[in-house]
Amino acid sequence: MGSVLGLGAVGLSLIFGVLRVVNLAHGAFLMLGMYITYWLFVLYGLNPAISLIPSFIVGLLIGAIVYQTIISRIMYGPELSTLVAGVGLMILLEEAAKVMWEPTYRGFIYDIGTVYVGGIGLPLSKVASALLSLLLVAVFFIVLYKTKLGTAVRALMQDPEGAALCGINVRLMYALMFSLGVSLALMSGSLIALHQQQGINPYVGHSYLLIAFVIVVLGGLGSLHGAYVGGILVGVIISLSTLVFTFFGVPQPMILAHFIAFLLILIILLLRPQGLFGGK
Amino acid sequence: MMGYRAFLLTVFTLLILVALRFITEAEPIGFITPQFVTFVMFYVALGLAFNIFIGMTGYVDFGYVAFMALGSYAMASAINRASSLSLPGYGAIILGLVETIVLTFILALIVGGIALRLRGAYFAIATISVNEGLRFLVDGLDIWGGSAGIYVSGPLIRLVGHEAYSFIALIVSDLLLYATAFIALIITFVYLNSRIGYALKAIREDEDAAKVMGVNTTFYKVLAFSTSGILGGLIGASWALKLAAVYPPEAFNIFYTVEAIVIVMLGGAGTFLGPIVGGAVYGGLKYVLSGYIPGYQLLIFAPILIAIIVMVPQGVIGFLRERSERLREFIA
Repeated sequence: MGSVLGLGAVGLSLIFGVLRVVNLAHGAFLMLGMYITYWLFVLYGLNPAISLIPSFIVGLLIGAIVYQTIISRIMYGPELSTLVAGVGLMILLEEAAKVMWEPTYRGFIYDIGTVYVGGIGLPLSKVASALLSLLLVAVFFIVLYKTKLGTAVRALMQDPEGAALCGINVRLMYALMFSLGVSLALMSGSLIALHQQQGINPYVGHSYLLIAFVIVVLGGLGSLHGAYVGGILVGVIISLSTLVFTFFGVPQPMILAHFIAFLLILIILLLRPQGLFGGK
Repeated sequence: MMGYRAFLLTVFTLLILVALRFITEAEPIGFITPQFVTFVMFYVALGLAFNIFIGMTGYVDFGYVAFMALGSYAMASAINRASSLSLPGYGAIILGLVETIVLTFILALIVGGIALRLRGAYFAIATISVNEGLRFLVDGLDIWGGSAGIYVSGPLIRLVGHEAYSFIALIVSDLLLYATAFIALIITFVYLNSRIGYALKAIREDEDAAKVMGVNTTFYKVLAFSTSGILGGLIGASWALKLAAVYPPEAFNIFYTVEAIVIVMLGGAGTFLGPIVGGAVYGGLKYVLSGYIPGYQLLIFAPILIAIIVMVPQGVIGFLRERSERLREFIA
């Protein structure tokens, strides 16, 4: 679970790290990815792993459109503009999804067996999605650190003006990275669909947006490997504190575990605003 | 006096709204009914209260609804307590208002003291997490009825009887709401024309410079934050009188915060008339759209919102102010 969450958080962190934009529509993009997996599976019986490819392509397309029509026009304006535009986009996507696919919960079961690790049964679909997300993150980091494109991205994160001076097409890179960030969100959504016990609905993205924030803050805003490790940490923290609260007989352990996650944000923002892995 | 013309114009507009509320009581004018006016007024008050913080300091508080929720809960719990002890009904409402002020002030001090050290995106994220954290806390620890919520109308009817209940839910709650809007407006004016206004403006333009010049930035930021928060709590408290029950997913719905931001953005942040124009346009459109095409109003709203942000980021009033030298005096 944490690994899949981490994949989405990397997308959010990429957009913040490169464009300095907090993408509040992130949860809505996750939701789109979930629906892609759901429909492809229900209508064509497509393997959820394969639906990562359409998620990737749709994400790139939507990201490019959104960047061109909205983000590129306001990203140099006050922070408030991009935040509000993100919320507008979130509402638009959610309402469109509601009109097209109805607000009811839809779920599917993709059962490919269970593996036993040390006596604990794990559904194979979850294990597979965790491994897939690990693979995707690995590919992402190889691109980031071993290719020319990745070097350009890292240069841009450090100093946009310096990067422009070195002949990097900043606008093109911004568009690309925004689209890639959105793609990562959709792919993460595709995989999260396998973890969604009560099914998906158009508003399912809200809770993931907030969790993604916790993750990104934990790892350090704009730190990419921090986001991934943060995802795993948050997954572990939520599961562990749920266990502890159940042990002490708290009325609603799951919900209180989320409270702990948000408490964590505040503590980290206060003590170490750059996050656990942020440089400065 | 800075912006006194704009202030008077705003007071006048508010008075017209109040008058409309009572004129339409006897006979609605077109689609304008008392419900419509109050609906609009809710958003105007929200805009005015929110504007004190966001407009003057430039910080975006994404957890604003937490104050409203706290106000609603304070009012609901005061009524419930009075109901079980059979105390006088109006006393409970006054007690609810006092509790609202105390609780929201405490929350503002805590959140402000912690989160206001952060800036920009960090502050926005911290406030979102406070809001969600509070919601999970209320839900998870079964405070105030937990996820089931806490009833308002039932206990209130038991407390004061049916006739007085409908008076409270319709007239008293409306009056409290209108009064809150006026108070917010007056506070904005007083702040703008005092040291506080200069300090806040300095913080908005350049916080570090303000600090260097000897402005106690933390104090003024917390001041604006808690003023805005208390007023938000009062809006929540007066609105709670109309509700059947208060429960976490509705009370802490982040959508109210978004609406408040939209109103301020729509009208123009940091102006007198802005929140009124924004609130009236937003509330009015929402009311009318939800009447004609229920269920689709948000779908229509979102593109409008994005278009406004992209095309007139300074808001309607801000746009007019930039355009015309003469108008500037009136709408400052």
